[in-house]
Amino acid sequence: MLRALVDWLDSRTGIRAARAHLLDEPIPAGTGWSFVTGSIVLFLILVQLATGVVLTMYYVPAPDHAYDSIRFIMDRLPFGAVLRGLHFFGASFIVVAALVHMLRVVLLGSYKKPREVTWLTGVVLLLLILGFALSGYLLPWDQKAYWATTVTINVARSGPMGEYVAGLLRGGSGLGPLTLLRWYSAHVFLLPACLIGFVIAHVYLMRRHGISGPVDPVDGATRPFYPYHALKDTLAMALVFSALIGVAVTFRAPLDAVADPTDATYVPRPEWYFLSLFQLLKYFPGPLEPVATQGVPGLVVLFLVLLPFLSKGTSRRLRDRPIVAGLFLLIGLGVTALTVMGLRDAPGHSASEGWSPLAVAGSEFARDARCTTCHRAGGAASEITGLAMLKDPDWLLSHVRDPQMIAPGLREPPSGAMSPGQAQSVLSYTKRVRAGKPLAPAIDADTRTASLVLGRYCATCHMIDGEGSAGAPDLTHVGKVHDAQWLHDWISAPDEIDAGANMPGFGQFLTADQMSALVKYLAARK
Amino acid sequence: MNQSESVPQALDARGRRRFLGGIIAAIQAAIGGTLGVVMGGAVLSPGLARRDASWLPAGRLTDLAINQPTPVMLRLERQDGYQRVIDRRAVFLVRDGESVTALDSTCTHLGCRVSWNSETQQLKCPCHGGTYDRSGQVTSGPPPAPLARFATRVEPDGRVMVQL
Repeated sequence: MLRALVDWLDSRTGIRAARAHLLDEPIPAGTGWSFVTGSIVLFLILVQLATGVVLTMYYVPAPDHAYDSIRFIMDRLPFGAVLRGLHFFGASFIVVAALVHMLRVVLLGSYKKPREVTWLTGVVLLLLILGFALSGYLLPWDQKAYWATTVTINVARSGPMGEYVAGLLRGGSGLGPLTLLRWYSAHVFLLPACLIGFVIAHVYLMRRHGISGPVDPVDGATRPFYPYHALKDTLAMALVFSALIGVAVTFRAPLDAVADPTDATYVPRPEWYFLSLFQLLKYFPGPLEPVATQGVPGLVVLFLVLLPFLSKGTSRRLRDRPIVAGLFLLIGLGVTALTVMGLRDAPGHSASEGWSPLAVAGSEFARDARCTTCHRAGGAASEITGLAMLKDPDWLLSHVRDPQMIAPGLREPPSGAMSPGQAQSVLSYTKRVRAGKPLAPAIDADTRTASLVLGRYCATCHMIDGEGSAGAPDLTHVGKVHDAQWLHDWISAPDEIDAGANMPGFGQFLTADQMSALVKYLAARK
Repeated sequence: MNQSESVPQALDARGRRRFLGGIIAAIQAAIGGTLGVVMGGAVLSPGLARRDASWLPAGRLTDLAINQPTPVMLRLERQDGYQRVIDRRAVFLVRDGESVTALDSTCTHLGCRVSWNSETQQLKCPCHGGTYDRSGQVTSGPPPAPLARFATRVEPDGRVMVQL
């Protein structure tokens, strides 16, 4: 029955001959394990295509929704975290696999005549893979996405025709919905179309010239690709896939706090595969910057393009190609050294990791009846832990202080409203909520007390950890400047230290416990 | 002599090919299966998830005419992907003394919205002409089953609650 069906199909399409042509590729004797690298890259590309298609079923390419749609994938969608893990870590796997494949081709001299064009399509594929990595970054619309893309676009601006290139990458006059949409379009339509085209060309050319095989021909008959070399490929795939799924199950693909264009505390850092370029930027300041952003990478790409034409000797042995080997070693060492130095530069903490004192305070203030009257299960508004926070921060601040006002900010908040500091705290807390962390970490009683005082009183005028109000000195490192005794005296009665002090005394508002907890906390902020 | 040796050898090579082919197929099936579970699970599970039934307020008993299906619009908030959406569901409430029956307004044929025709005293579906009586039983046309019913209860203060 099945046989009859295949016979029918074969007579109409020639499918058996096509299968035989695909699988019976003659593989030279002595072709070893090092020739599985290309299949690994192809396999990983297929995994990315498959997982990418499923991700697009849940991802929304709009700044208002992108982050929350990824939160949904990570936190609520069954298998979602593993799915995104496969795609996210798979990107790193592909970059490594592609580099290993390229290294193999260079070491065994497989790029030599007549395979120059095969090599060139491979260089294009490598650049396409890096293009995928770069465009994939922006899609989650988290802090890393926003700031890394800002940096990328500014890097593009430093080159020739910079403003045009930057405008092309940005879409609109600023980084926003148009940018996200065009990067999404590139990531899911343009780049995959190019990638598939070049993969077909690359594989076609590989088949046209045959696999290059061992450097020194080994005696013996060729063997068909299937099943002998196919088994090696498959075993290698199993190994790589086990590693990938292991990583995807064990580690969560990172997702920072939602993109915040006003955040001055975030230190953007690229993925490891762009870290060498990131580090290079540090050595070419000011007018020399294009050397790092365009010059050095451009020269490396130019070298890759010209490689098969520069290295024209017929010998594939590495020792007969000292210049190529030396240049590759130089580039490899350079990239490795820059990457290691980039890794060593301590990364700045991202806002989503730690809970700032205001966030802790806000998580308590948000339990206030003024919030939970409406924000509760079955209430007039969604629960606070399920809010998407799509309004701008000014609107939210006003709303927290004066919830009944339809257009917040049009009137003074009524008496009994939360203080501006408390509203800032609630806002800080809602950022954690949106980052999927609605529960404050366990902290000791003194820190909690100090946080609540900071939120209720201090944050109305002061800034701490990048949150609060900018009217008075920043308290983030106040312990560096003042000791506990001075802080105690100042907070109790500032005018006794400085008659012209703007700050009111808080001695009468704070209990002894609150005062000692606050002073201890601030004195420790060094 | 030579011939008798090469035949088993050829058979041996064939068996070997088949054996290796089996290993390849098994490994690739394992990889594909793992990916299939992750991707299939992510694709299918939200569509198969069932919402917990919830009681929704549907007006007051005293506002309902006796034995006349009264359309009521219920607001049903539910999580849909990353956002909460509000479904508006039309339900016919039929009062019979102190008790209330709630009929779904969805035609059991192909899911169109039925409406009450007070002249003919029938619930009529606009799509293919199916009709139901006031208790939701099919009186004519293609519908295969009576209109679905929802559980109802009347609170002591006279509010009608419908379970969706």
